[in-house]
Amino acid sequence: MNELFFQKFNEKVPLTSEEQEQIKEYLTPKKLRKRQYILQEGDVCKAISFVEKGALRAYTVDENSNEHIIQFAIEGWTISDLFSFLTAEPATYNIDALEDAELLLITRTAHEELLRTQPKYEKYIRLLITGAYIALQRRLTSNISLPADERYTRFTETYPDIAQRVPQHMIASYIGLTPETLSRVRKKMADRK
Amino acid sequence: MKTIQTIAIIGASGNMGAAISKSLAKGNYRLLLCASEQDKVQAVADEIKKSKPAATVETVDCAVDASWEADIIIAAVPYAAEEKVAQKIREVANQKIVISIANPLNDTYDGLVTAPDTSAAEELQKLLPNSKVIKAFNTTFAADFSTPVIDGKQADAFIAGNDGEALQTVSELVSTAGFNPVIAGDLAVSGTLERMQLLLIQLNMKYDYNWLAGWKILHR
Repeated sequence: MNELFFQKFNEKVPLTSEEQEQIKEYLTPKKLRKRQYILQEGDVCKAISFVEKGALRAYTVDENSNEHIIQFAIEGWTISDLFSFLTAEPATYNIDALEDAELLLITRTAHEELLRTQPKYEKYIRLLITGAYIALQRRLTSNISLPADERYTRFTETYPDIAQRVPQHMIASYIGLTPETLSRVRKKMADRK
Repeated sequence: MKTIQTIAIIGASGNMGAAISKSLAKGNYRLLLCASEQDKVQAVADEIKKSKPAATVETVDCAVDASWEADIIIAAVPYAAEEKVAQKIREVANQKIVISIANPLNDTYDGLVTAPDTSAAEELQKLLPNSKVIKAFNTTFAADFSTPVIDGKQADAFIAGNDGEALQTVSELVSTAGFNPVIAGDLAVSGTLERMQLLLIQLNMKYDYNWLAGWKILHR
């Protein structure tokens, strides 16, 4: 139920068993079935979700009802609308399950309480957000400067697990291509081999 | 709120559990009905689907699985069964709202089995120290759920608990069920609420209200 969470935590910041028990008190275990939402646009994002099992995505919908995928999350990752979570303003993202999922939620109240009482949690969160920020910078660079085939190659090389598990049109959306463009790119790449 | 909340009702085949389930089906909730008697709880789910085809309702045969999926858990079980349920769901109910509806009546309905300084809700909180236990739906009879307006007046339904956000969430449930929610105070008020229902049960038997009666605070 929370094995992976503490495995990841201990990799970054080692915890004593007492500290682990203390942090455990603040976590909300939550199962989500495929296609169910943990957050819908317009609601306040009340929790950060850590994925113990399954796959989720965060996406936004534009004026023409096109979905744009902001983030995927599989085992060991966290997902949220960070802006909404930190400011309590309405979320601009939707977050739903691509597969049946087991999550651990850290609610805003739990988050604040842990920041106040557990210095190791603060360190863990800092490392987590720093890592996410670097990933975001890389992704932004890739999406604005790389040609379509390289964007796709970089995605499949960086996230081979996700590439196996989510449909192609979602990968296209994530790397900023239309499904048709991605399809052409993949065909060209296959022909080259 | 747009994001659909999932509610697990443990003991959904009982009088109160079934009444609560049916009345919450009016709201934008996903209901997981849970009880040991599968055929009885299935009948409750079928009835809900028949009267409200758009309702999202499912039966789940395991209290642990239902509570794991849920955002809100309603322990619609008698006081005597609370401990067993609490032990089962303890881990998956961590940080979640757990509603205690029980009135800890003795066998002859003329007193409570709990000590004067505690209540069914406070005992449940001790068993689930990391859950947000809220007292609700204990001052309303099962029949009141289909008739929350009695003699032209909407019955009050009292709520007690220690977490402000959880009290707000449960207030919305109570409104959905058709009652006027009244937040009475922190969880320590539960003993008073449970004794109020003891009185109402005694009055019901004495004056034959036919189990359709409720509380209404008159105020200016």
